[in-house]
Amino acid sequence: MTESAIYAIAAALAIALSTVFPALGQGKAAKAALESIARQPDAAKDIRSTLLLSLALMEALTIYGLLIAFMLVGKIG
Amino acid sequence: MGEAREPLVRIFGILDISAEVITMLVMIAVVAAVSLIIRHNLRERPGKFQNILEAGVEYLDNFFSDILGRKNARKYLFFLASLFVFILMANYSGLIPGVGIFKYFKAPTSSLSVTVGLSICTFFFIQISAFRAGSKHYIKHFLTPIVPLLLLDELIKPASLSLRLFGNIFGEETVLENLYELLPIGAPIIMMALSLLFCAIQAMVYTMLTASYLNEFIEE
Repeated sequence: MTESAIYAIAAALAIALSTVFPALGQGKAAKAALESIARQPDAAKDIRSTLLLSLALMEALTIYGLLIAFMLVGKIG
Repeated sequence: MGEAREPLVRIFGILDISAEVITMLVMIAVVAAVSLIIRHNLRERPGKFQNILEAGVEYLDNFFSDILGRKNARKYLFFLASLFVFILMANYSGLIPGVGIFKYFKAPTSSLSVTVGLSICTFFFIQISAFRAGSKHYIKHFLTPIVPLLLLDELIKPASLSLRLFGNIFGEETVLENLYELLPIGAPIIMMALSLLFCAIQAMVYTMLTASYLNEFIEE
């Protein structure tokens, strides 16, 4: 395998793995938030802002993966 | 990656004027012009335009009051609201057709230097206002056996803030550029429609996190 092929595989893995697992976490968080909003519509405002904050924190992990992937793609000859 | 392109104008060899700086200057000029015009025409019974802006300010006030409480939100609104307006405008400037493709304009937040600069301002804002809100409480916060971890935490917060903003906007701009090369008319619109949402959310998340980091220190 040439060097650039390894870089390409590494970049693909970096973005793929860092998309899959935060997505699972975000799904869990959104599910819990939706359930609690359905149970208690009055608290929807508080839940929404907390949900947004936690989703953004999980999203950051994906973004770190994306940055690494861009860096690796830049190295492909 | 994400570095400023070749500077367009060099002043004294240090002060480079790049595409991001031009976009920021245009942005600041627009905001200043709108503010001056609206201040000149300020009325007791607001017109259409003044009404929209008043609703915006009220929204921001309520938004920060939910996190910081009414009194503190009013006290720190000057920084948090300007941060919000700046990031929102900077993110949206990438959606104007031609920005990012045309050589002289580029969304400011899609460059790491701009977001790191913003985060340095945020860092000093949080530490200084926490110290001024209660110096005894501030020092007591750091007087624990886990001081190194706390200090590290304080440094990691702004770093993650800047990386998140930069990564989101840079990734989005890159996708837009690739779609533009694929099919210049039509293809970028799908991504742009999504970006309308994401840009606002990123601006919101940045200021919300800043406010809640500040709240950790000053709440009592």
